[in-house]
Amino acid sequence: MTVSASTRSGSPAPPAPAAAPPESRRDRRKRERLAERDREIPVEMYGLRRGTVTLLTLLAFLFALFTLIPIGWLLINSTKTQANIFETFGFWFASPFQFFHTFGLLFQNVDGYGTYIQWFGNTALYAVVGGVGATALAAFAGYGLARFRFRGSRVTFYLIIAALLVPITALTVPLYLTYAKAHLINSIWGMVLPSMISPIGVYLMRTYADISVPRDLIDAARIDGAGELRIFFRVALPLMVPGVLTVLLISIVAVWNNYFLPLLIFNDNTKYPLTVGLGLWSDRAVNSGDANLYPMLVMGGLVTIIPLIALFLILQRYWRGGMLLGSIAN
Amino acid sequence: MAAITLENLTKVYATGVTALDELSLDVRDGEFVVLVGPSGCGKTTALRMIAGLESITSGTLRFGCEVVNDVSPRQRDVAMVFQNYALYPHLTVAENIGFALANKHVPKADRDRRVREAAEALGLSALLRRKPAHLSGGQRQRVAMGRAIVREPAVFLMDEPLSNLDAKLRVQMRAEVLRVHSQIGAATVYVTHDQVEAMTMGDRVAVLNEGVLQQYGTARELYDQPVNLFVASFIGSPEMNLYEAALDPSGALVLGSQRLKLGQLPPGLAARSGHPVIVGIRPEDLTPGSPGAPGSLAADVRAVQPLGSEVDVLFAIDAPAAGARAQAAAAGEAGADTELFGEAYNGVARLDARAAVRSGTRMTFTVDVARLHFFDQETGRAMTAT
Repeated sequence: MTVSASTRSGSPAPPAPAAAPPESRRDRRKRERLAERDREIPVEMYGLRRGTVTLLTLLAFLFALFTLIPIGWLLINSTKTQANIFETFGFWFASPFQFFHTFGLLFQNVDGYGTYIQWFGNTALYAVVGGVGATALAAFAGYGLARFRFRGSRVTFYLIIAALLVPITALTVPLYLTYAKAHLINSIWGMVLPSMISPIGVYLMRTYADISVPRDLIDAARIDGAGELRIFFRVALPLMVPGVLTVLLISIVAVWNNYFLPLLIFNDNTKYPLTVGLGLWSDRAVNSGDANLYPMLVMGGLVTIIPLIALFLILQRYWRGGMLLGSIAN
Repeated sequence: MAAITLENLTKVYATGVTALDELSLDVRDGEFVVLVGPSGCGKTTALRMIAGLESITSGTLRFGCEVVNDVSPRQRDVAMVFQNYALYPHLTVAENIGFALANKHVPKADRDRRVREAAEALGLSALLRRKPAHLSGGQRQRVAMGRAIVREPAVFLMDEPLSNLDAKLRVQMRAEVLRVHSQIGAATVYVTHDQVEAMTMGDRVAVLNEGVLQQYGTARELYDQPVNLFVASFIGSPEMNLYEAALDPSGALVLGSQRLKLGQLPPGLAARSGHPVIVGIRPEDLTPGSPGAPGSLAADVRAVQPLGSEVDVLFAIDAPAAGARAQAAAAGEAGADTELFGEAYNGVARLDARAAVRSGTRMTFTVDVARLHFFDQETGRAMTAT
């Protein structure tokens, strides 16, 4: 560009402007990404033999295929009619192209048992309230366990770890009986309250708080006259943000995908989340086969995972570390 | 009245380790007191107890005449500079400095003014909107200081604030810290392991070892009248030459195969004549002399280290070394300064740079006998003090 400009005017190219224009957000991110790549050790220097690297790459590729193929199948088959789902090749398209037709049906009460869109709303409600609640409680508890010594702090933490090992199925009967007594059957609270308890979240937050909130920083804030709540919100929490977002994501996904708990506590299908709703459709598709439910099932499955994928993509850029840079000299 | 009074302050950890054993000292209003000692001597524990960050096992801590043992750090109104600065990484320089004021609900306009003043005093005005990650080590150190001085505290605590800076900047910041101290005039307790820093900065210096206060006094007192072997070898660089020796009844010092005529012995020493003692000679109390003159000491020169203005002569005499240097040699510690290129030495003399000394020769020093230090071989206590 500069060349063409100078040939046209016949004068040498104008000197570069003295002050560089302010760096745009996109440029900065690009620069950071490049800087990050510069810090990485080239794979040739890992000390691995070439064959090993190739083998590992191949394994990773196979694993990627393994996870992506079902999603690909969903995408392809969401465009098909019920007959085509069964009769045509599973990994290629077939006419007629039914995608928008099926998608539209999701918003209608196709069989008198409730609409997909309602289940979607239920899932979103349970996931957001349960996930945010679980994250808030985990952040409080994790910070407390990481930075305060109190009687029983160790035992408490071990109990939380132990809770990680108990499979939810083992709790079915006691849970159901308790719910019946507490009038939580068919109640939104029955879904939301247990979702707020996240042992893995507490465990992660404790670990994260331990490495990301230096004790000296808390001491400094105490000397600066801040109360414990203010220290948590103003000093500790901002440093724990990447960990908080991780726990938020895990918690939301856990509630979003939870099948067992809602199956247990809801018998009113207007309160079903997506998992149980799709399960209901699946049963009816298998047992009666009257309605054209298979395309709806495929489409329903596809739409169910889209918000989770979007959430991952949005949150992943907050996971960058480096928040602590400059706080502690080393 | 003292601004800070420590009375028999003791810290015993749950593990049973005694970090601080009955420390008593006072800091006067506006005084700059340095706690110095090797790592693990309890100096930082003492400081954290004053700040309220460590509980007090026993003893009394007073600010003015108020006992503050059980007052929380929030209410103690102390300011502290941490060794690693402990800046809030997500806040700007201005927010870091103003954090304490915001906690006290100082009105925004007032807060801004005080932050600006503190920043100006420390040369940080241009950096107020930066985050700590974008500051150099020296700038971070200034921000940490700014955060402390903006509060106009009655008590100012510093925990090795300069130890993360390079040597040149450290010397610069020493002067800066003292200037800030003279401006705010708060009673200051400063912890360091560096005896040079302690000597140059402290109005008074407290030397600690293994949780026990060894000596508390001005730099001059510590240097000229160390009360025991620990203080004698800890204070001063290069450290004091210490040898096992004996006083013979005629008033001479037997140092290996040589005898140094001492003349009139002080009464405390005269009583010990005939007994073994440990004698201490400061490196600068040795000057080039001629053989046979009174107070002369012959030594083998092992190495010569020119420092520009002066020269350090590393020498060996046949008297057994005592104190820290002897312990290091006995322990075979790697890097202990008892050996140089395989040549064992047990003494250092600091001479004028123009002194013509060559390594590998035998030379004669004149010892300033009036400035010798004597210590009891068993207790390690100074004998001239009695």
